[in-house]
Formats: sequence, C-alpha cells, structure tokens
Amino acid sequence: MSPKREIAFTLNGVPTRASVSPELSALALIREVLGLTGTKLGCGEGECGACTILVDGRSVNSCLMFALDCEGRSLVTIEGLAADPLGARIEQAFVEAGAVQCGFCTPGMVVQAHNLLTAHPHPTREQIRRGIEGNLCRCTGYFKIVEAIERAAGAQE
Amino acid sequence: MQIIARETLIGKRIAKLDAPEKASGKTRYIHDLDLPGQLYGKILRSGRVHAKILRIDTSKAKALPGVHAVITAADVPWQRPIGVARDHLPLKTDRVRSPRDEIAAVAAQSEEIAQAALRLIEVEYEDLPVLTDPLDALAPDAPLIHPEPHGADGGTEHLKPGAPVAYSGRPDNLAMTFDYEQGDVARGEADSDLVVEDTFRLHYVTHCCMGVSGIIAEFDSSGNLTMYSNTQVPFLHKREFAEILGMDPARIRIIQPPIGGGFGSKLDIYPFEPICVFLARATGRPVKLVFSREEEFLASPTRQPVILKLRSGCRRDGTLTFRAVETIHDNGAYTSWGATTPFVMMQTVSSLYRVPHCSYHTKAVYTNNPYAGSFRGYGNLQATFAVESHMDRMADALGIDPLEFRLKNAQDPGEVTPQGMQFKTCGLKECLKSAAELGDYRAKRRAYAALQAEPGRFKRGVGLASMLHVGGGAKIYPSDGCGTILKMDDFGAVTLITGASEIGQGSETVLAQLVCEELGLPLSAVRVVNNDTEITPWDVGVHASRTTFIGGNSAIGAARKARAKILDAAAKQTGLPAQALDLRAGQIVEERSGNPLLSLAKLIRSLHFSDKAELVMTTHYYEPPSHHQDRQFKGDVSAAYAWASQVVEVEVDTETGAVRLLKVSGAHDVGRVLNRLGIEGQIEGGIVMGQGYALTEELIVEQGRIRNPAFRDYKLVTAPEIPEIAVRFVETLDGEGPQGAKGVGEAPAICIAAATANAIENATGVRILALPFTPEKVYRALREER
Amino acid sequence: MAEIERVLAPASLDEAAEALAAGEATLLAGGTDLMPASHAGKVRFAPMLINLRRIAELSGIAVEDGELRIGTLVTIAELLGDEAVRERCPILAEAADHFASPQIRNAATIGGNLCNASPAGDMLVPLLAAGARVELASKPDGTLVRRVLPLEEFLVGPGRTRRRPDELLATVRVPAAAPDAIWRFFKSGTRPALDISAVSIGLLARKAGNALHEVRIALGAVAPTVVRARAAEATLEGRVLNPETMEAAACAARDEVHPISDVRASAWYRKELIHNMLRRMLSDVAET
Repeated sequence: MSPKREIAFTLNGVPTRASVSPELSALALIREVLGLTGTKLGCGEGECGACTILVDGRSVNSCLMFALDCEGRSLVTIEGLAADPLGARIEQAFVEAGAVQCGFCTPGMVVQAHNLLTAHPHPTREQIRRGIEGNLCRCTGYFKIVEAIERAAGAQE
Repeated sequence: MQIIARETLIGKRIAKLDAPEKASGKTRYIHDLDLPGQLYGKILRSGRVHAKILRIDTSKAKALPGVHAVITAADVPWQRPIGVARDHLPLKTDRVRSPRDEIAAVAAQSEEIAQAALRLIEVEYEDLPVLTDPLDALAPDAPLIHPEPHGADGGTEHLKPGAPVAYSGRPDNLAMTFDYEQGDVARGEADSDLVVEDTFRLHYVTHCCMGVSGIIAEFDSSGNLTMYSNTQVPFLHKREFAEILGMDPARIRIIQPPIGGGFGSKLDIYPFEPICVFLARATGRPVKLVFSREEEFLASPTRQPVILKLRSGCRRDGTLTFRAVETIHDNGAYTSWGATTPFVMMQTVSSLYRVPHCSYHTKAVYTNNPYAGSFRGYGNLQATFAVESHMDRMADALGIDPLEFRLKNAQDPGEVTPQGMQFKTCGLKECLKSAAELGDYRAKRRAYAALQAEPGRFKRGVGLASMLHVGGGAKIYPSDGCGTILKMDDFGAVTLITGASEIGQGSETVLAQLVCEELGLPLSAVRVVNNDTEITPWDVGVHASRTTFIGGNSAIGAARKARAKILDAAAKQTGLPAQALDLRAGQIVEERSGNPLLSLAKLIRSLHFSDKAELVMTTHYYEPPSHHQDRQFKGDVSAAYAWASQVVEVEVDTETGAVRLLKVSGAHDVGRVLNRLGIEGQIEGGIVMGQGYALTEELIVEQGRIRNPAFRDYKLVTAPEIPEIAVRFVETLDGEGPQGAKGVGEAPAICIAAATANAIENATGVRILALPFTPEKVYRALREER
Repeated sequence: MAEIERVLAPASLDEAAEALAAGEATLLAGGTDLMPASHAGKVRFAPMLINLRRIAELSGIAVEDGELRIGTLVTIAELLGDEAVRERCPILAEAADHFASPQIRNAATIGGNLCNASPAGDMLVPLLAAGARVELASKPDGTLVRRVLPLEEFLVGPGRTRRRPDELLATVRVPAAAPDAIWRFFKSGTRPALDISAVSIGLLARKAGNALHEVRIALGAVAPTVVRARAAEATLEGRVLNPETMEAAACAARDEVHPISDVRASAWYRKELIHNMLRRMLSDVAET
C-alpha cells in the first residue's frame, strides 16, 4: 500500500481534510473515508453514472477520479444538494413525478440533472435525454426522470 | 361544523412514500450498511469452465496480516447443497463446472486485504471436456456435468452417510423435464387447414440491478443468526437457510435493507449467501460480502435461454386448433428457477388465445454455461415471442387481418381454459382493440407492408402482440398468502406491519393507500413496516406480480377489522348504528350527511384509557382462492389473470441493421388502477426492460465464458433510446382483487420482443426467429433474405 | 501494481518535463482511462505520479497561423463548447458530442484520449481526418525542446504511441478547415454516445462543384490504430461524385481494411458498415 498524503478541499461547502493513498478514487474517499453513502458505487468504470458528483461545478464520475485530484477543489455530493435551491427543486420534482422506484440511480440522476439545468436552464426533452445518457436506470425506463427534470426546469421561473 | 365529503385515493397519483429519502441520498442500501467490527468477505472463483480440483493451498493467504479466515469445502464438511434441485454445494469439493464456481472464501479486515489474500490462494486443476451446447450434452456419450461425485483424489471416502453430496449423480445430463398435454394434438393437427413450424432461439440476458448483490451475516453470542439480505423471499429463505446450515429456523432472522432492484434475481439462494454465513461463523465477527459489478455479471443468474420449436395450426376460418411445443432449456452447471420456467411457458402456450389442443415438452439440460434464475416474466417473454410470431404468420398466410385473427380467438370473461385457469375477468379483447387504436395499427400495417419492396434506407413497421400472466398470485408454494398486523396509536396514526416486501415497485405505497381508503386517513398517517422476519408476519415473497393483490387484500382485511371495531365503539358513543357512520379525514362522520361527530383519535383514546382498556390492533392473513396445479399441471393456479396488448412501431435502418423503437402503444387489463403514478412507472420500466431484451441486451457466452461482463459491452437501454409511449388502462374490476386490482409488475416487459419481431417483419418482410435484434443480427438477416 | 512513492503537481510545463527527465513517471490528466486501468490491474504505476492539472500551458485553445492549437488538458466538454473549434474544425466538435457521457466529457482530456491510443478512439478519427499533428515536449539536456509529429506517426498500435518516457504531450495542432471544406462523421451503434463503436468514419475534403479534392477519410475500430482509407481516398481525389465513384470508394474502403471480430462486431459486419456508411456519407455530401 502506497504511503498516504494529506489533501485539502471543500466538500458541500465545508473545508475538509483527508488522508488518502494515491490509488484511492474520489468515490472511495467520499464513501469510505468520509462516510457519505449517498453517492453510489454502481460499476466502478464510469459506465452507469451512479457515482456522479459535482467538482468545481461540473458533473463527473467520482469512480474515475483520483482522490488526490480533489486537492484544492470544490466537491458537491447529493448530501449537499438539498441545501441548494435548484437541488431542492430537483429532488422535489423527482418525488412528485414518480421518478423514484428502487432509488439506487437517483442520487446520480439528481446531481447530473443539477449540472444539466445549470448549463441549460430550459432544456428540450431531447437535451434532457442526452443530458442523462451517462446515467443508467433499470426500474423507471427514464420517462418520469425526464418529466421530473422538465418539471424542475419549469419551476425555475 | 364543516361537512366532510367522501374522498377516494383510488386511481390518484400518489408519490412513493420512500421517494424523498431516496431522492436526497439518505436511504441506506446494503452497500451502505456497516456493522461495528465487521470483516469483509471475498470469494475465489474458479475461472475454469470444467475441471477437477486437484489441490487447494490456502496457507499463504491465511498468513497475510489482516486475514481472519480462509475457508474451502474442507472447512465446512457439514455444508448442504442449495438451489431448486439441491445440486449445488456452496463451496465446491471435487470439481468445478463453470468459471463462477466458488472455491474458497476469505474474511479480512478490509476489502483490499481480502482481495490480496485471494491472489495468494493456490489451486491446481485438471481440465475436463467442456460442454456448451445443450444438444451436445444430450448425446449418449456426452461427458457428465453431475456424475457420481468423487473426491479430489478419486476416492469416495467423503460419500459416507451424512456427508454432503450435490446429489447422488446422474446417468445423463438431463436436469429436469416438463410434459403437458391438453386435448389431442394429433386430432388438432388433423383438423387444421394450415400448419406452421419454426424453431426460435431466446438468448441470455441478465438483471443488471443497479445495486449489486450483497449480504451481511452476524451471529450473536447465543448463536442466533441475523442476515441483512436483499432476498425477495425472506420467509422461505429463513426456512431454507435453517436446512442448509443445520440450524433451528427460529434462530434465524432476516432483515431486508432497501433494495437496489430485484426483478426476480433474488428468489433463490446463491452460494455467496451461505458462504458469508460460514465466514461469520468461522470468525465470530459480522461479515459483509458485496459483489463487484463484474462479479455481478459473472455470478448472477440469467434469464432462461430457450431453443423453442413451435408447431401451430388453425382452420381456414382462422380458428386456432393446436400448438405443440418442444423446448431445450440450457440448464447451465447448476439448477435454479430458470429450469422451472415451463410452469409459466405452458400457460401461455396453452391459454394465450383459445387453443383446444396443446402439448408442451421441455428438457432442461446441464452444460458448463451460466445458469438461469427467475427474471421478470419468468419464461413468458420467451413463450410469447414464439406464440405471437405464429399468430402473425398464420393470419398472413390465410389473408386474415392479424388483429381480427387474434380477436377471433381471444377469450371472454367467464371462460375456463383446458388448463383449468378461470378467467373471471378478462380484458383481452378490449386490450387488443385499444392498443390497435392507440397505435393506428391497421392502417399503418397495410401502408408499411406496401412500402416493403420500395427502395429506401429506412423502413418502418408495426407489430402487435398480447400477453397473459398471473395477476392474483401463483399458488406454487404450500401457501400463497400474506399476513398483516395493523395497529393504531392514540393519535390515530397507523402502523401497518406487513409480510410483503418493497423492492422498488411501490407496494408499500399501495398498501398504505388501501388502508387509508378503508380508514379515511391521509397517507401521512400511515407507516409501513415490512422488512424484518422477527417482526412481520409471513408472506411467501415478492414474485409472480402478487404483492398488490395479496399483500393488498391482507392489508384491507386488517383495516376492515379495525374499521369495524372503531365504528362499533363509535356507534355506542353516538347512539347511531354503525352502518350509518363513516370514517373520513380522521373523523367519524354521519355517512349520509358528512357531518363530523367524533374525532377518531379521541375515540381511540377513549377506548384505551377506560375501564375495559382496549387498543385498536388487528391482524389478517389472506390466502387467495386459487388452487395448486395437479400432477398434470392443471388447475386454477392464480386468483386472477392479467392481460396486455402492445403495438410497437419500429424504424429499421437497412444499411446498418439498427432498429429504432419509435412508439409503444399499450393497453393493460389491470383490474383497477390504484396508484396511477406507481402503475405508470411499472409499465414504463417494464416496456424499456422489454426493449432491452428485444434490441440491445445480450450476455455473450462463448465456450462457457461470459465475454461482456461490464456495462461497456452489455448494453442496457439509455435515456436517448426510449420510444414514445401511449398507455391505456382497461379496468375490468376483478371481484377478488383489492379494490378490483390485479397484478401488473411483469406484464409490460412480456410482449415487447414479440411485437417487435412482428414489426420488423412488417417493415422488411423478414421474420427473425432469434433474439436480440441487434444491428449486426438484423443486418445479417436482411442480407440473407436477399 | 507497484507503489506510488511520490506525487508531484507541477505548475509549469518546464517543471513537469524536468521531473520526467529525472525518472519514469505515470502521468495523470483527467484520470478517466488511468483509474479503471488501475482497478483492473492493467497499469503498473511508476514510483512517481505527476498530476498535470495545474499546468496552464497545457490548457486553452488558441488559433495561430491558421491552426487550432489545443492544449492537451482541454476536456472533451470544453472542445464541444468552444466556438473556435466549432468554426474551424466542426468535425471535432461533432465527435466530441458522441464521446462517452456528459460526466466523462467533463473530465476526459484530449491528451489523455491521444495517449490512450485506442483503435476506436472517438477523437482520433476526426483528428486524423483533419490532418492533426501532436507536439511533444521534453527536457533531455536541461533545456525544453519540442517536436511535432503527424498523428499517423504518433499512433503506433493499441495503447502505444511514439511518446518517449521523458516526453509530455503538450498541444494538438489542427489545420483550420478551408472555406470550401465539407465534413461528415459517423459512429455506429444504437446510442448517440456511451458506446465503443463497432466502426467510426471521419470524412474531410474540399468540394469544388461536384468534385472532391484533398480527400481525407479516417476509419476507427478497423485496425490496430485509427487509419486513413488511402485507396478509397485515391478513387475520389479530383473526381466528380456520382453513383459509380461513390460505390468505388465504398468498395475500396471496405477492401483495404482487415478488421478483427470481437464482442462488439464481426469483421464482416465492420466491412459492410464501412462500405454502406461511407457511400451514404458521400451521397449526403453530393446532395448538398
């Protein structure tokens, strides 16, 4: 096991320090070192989007990121999104639209939706579908997830 | 005083009770649970397709710091075989039969150490001939997958009485057979003016639950076992684990954390579960064992692949005469629920549309391939694919409109099929007409058929298919029932303790809804407890689309008892007869006028804090009025049946073979819509699962190995690929169903592939008999036709 | 997997090159290839890990001397959203839109994609069609030196490039499209993105009347690296587009490649796709 290094970053608005080994992924940092289990491990290969977080305002697959690379950056996980007006609106829309079944893909979807709506506040349905093309869901068939995101976008007026 | 009008929750759009927790990331799935002092379990899998185990050396692994236990079969001589046919030992003794076979397991203080320990285990194998084609496996001189078991040294010492054997070995590779007859097929054939025959090939797909498999096992100081498990059948598993572990079932507790998807993948016991228990026993610590995604692909059960030969006949006027089916089920290395899909397949073959004569034969054959379990639809996707393909073929051959052909043979309410299924409600005709109307089927089919021969890159087509599935449970176990305990507290809040499990399908919300409907309460007044075998009453489990029907009737039963008790007490207090009273919005009201008379909470408190103190607590066990099938597989196995028809519109790119699903128009006989939001979610998710089965998903198995154990090359449907959908609900108001509802969980997935096959034929003139319709496969089929 | 003993985060290209000259290092850009390779046990980490993220010279997109100069740390998302790229090399922007997923586009870098040298490389096909060159920097004798290689020379085989262990990929240089340029990009599959294609095709040429000049056709996933379909290009060079020339080009492209069969597609199907889709792309060009 490689020797650990100290890193400092902002997590959900709070300055945070952690000790990480170089091979550790950002996902493992979040879940195992920091104990935040809202972000999910779905595949570990960047194919399912369940591990999506925001880094400096952009959504990334945390399973593909090195924990070391969090140094000096601002991370937002699903736990931090409820505090944000857009995040809260998206979560509410997911609930009301029936976009949650087993819920495992939901945190990743909500974070990705946040990224999408920040960049495109009024996306077309096509843009929404492309916007979540990196997030897999096995339960809903995506229909109500798309509706939820539309609803959250509409509520932004 | 404010009049309170009667309001109903039935048919409303109700958000799932657990959705806010899930949307905020607070829900803790099995992967998110950690017990103090827990160790991490990992399994060493053989990687060999078929081989004798000559030697296992775990000494280096045991010596690694941080490793608490390394076990092999030798360490658990008392292990018992698992699985539907009890042919599967959790830790393999003398041989491995597939690359996922479990050889050894490690419990260590971290996952990394456990993985490192696995790499230090040395195993010596002697390869055996590999069988990957079930037809080869049936040959008389084929090597045996489950022969008389011998020890690694060739000895039979371990066969002494009481020692576990997978079972006593077989003279051939036949795992199971199914044979069914109704009427006289020879006569049916003689009566036919047209007979068609095809062999269909249905492929391997897998569940791909977004949450991978996992388990935590812990023994307490008295030797009682608690398992945190995602099982869909906790009570059945409690009993089975007791058998497997040689324990008293009363000392086994199963707790179900929220599950990241089920779809039937968790209806059997798989080796990783008892192995985790062995590790917990060996170390005296809680052990958590979670799959990687690759392991999930390699070691989970698949949908049952089938080679299905169907011979169908009809008269010139379009009346169906007979169906004769022979299937080969590739049973893989060990037997799980996949081998029993014939139970469901023969229902479709015998009773989807009216068929007087029918025969059905399955041979389930051992090979070194992956083995199949239960998967949403349970064989019905495969059977419907074949049956509905022939419906179109026969209609076209006779020059009869395919919708008319189906309507002519569709059953009516009240019919009893030759297999003994009683269709008390039956919306098949309405589903057919509705779906055809929604999808503009007739006009489009004619128009697209006329365009088949025209030059042009893109060809469109429509296809129609229906499905029949159980909608009121399935009496395959000694009981198909569900128990409920209901209690009301002093503030009028309800706790509903149900045996039924929530696997993401929204059963919890529907049960709360049904209770609120009886007790006139808002949904916020109900808490549902449903995930601990120590607390909840027995339920057979989540399968066969039964939970709303059976869990629902059980909840209603308990709620009605509570209602009766409350209204009786209210009658005494108000001087009005109980029939003149109603429960609305937490009040006891006069039924006719809506005048509130008494607060419900106050009434309950007055019962509680009185001389004859009483709490409002009721129970109900609901056993559906269905019957076990007899030895000929005949009987009314479900309390209700469900139908759906779907029209699928596709666009085929003839230059690449890519098939785009443009629109799915469906009509579903669901008895009654309870939670409109929830049922839409089930339909939509099922349609897309069917889409994956038809077009994009394929577990590529070559020489016994899975070549694509990752999302990179196992293609689930993604958001940009979903079709336009239009869904209509046909409410036949089933007399036995809760508020008239029937089960729907599996239905929407079942006929998509069948309808898609018919749509591709309409677009291109080519009928493809094998799934999936990936671009290369479709392209090849189009080229071969030219 | 060997242990990482040192982690560096140099602030300049010079610093990074110096560190590389001192010893072998594993380079970290976006991490989207390095992390899964590490998990799969396919990568041996060198004792030194260099995180390139802070190096300003490696980011940014500039236009100089009629060329797009793209820093190798530019992410695929940045490429997709950049106006200069859309105007001067639209085929690159198009390919970026079909790359993996939005999340991966936010992290993956063009440099990483180049060094990963996948035979199916999504960005490599348009870069090859556009005539891209790569600039490598190193400090072998105490001074920073740069060399420029055409892309086809840089790519050697699956996962293999001509980058020396002491070199860093600094920029990608892409000639700006001429005013009469036409381009088309095709990637096979049922999804717009999140797909390792069975084949991909990039077409770039100049159109005068109905004839094509300076035809460049790049093919992905049909050879150990992305390759030019030179025989097909030759059948089109200077010729008018009509059904015969288009068919000839399609057949030439199909016949000059020798793809493998794998889980994604058979060799036969790949050839069919090359033929059908190149013809389709040309016929689309002819109609506009």
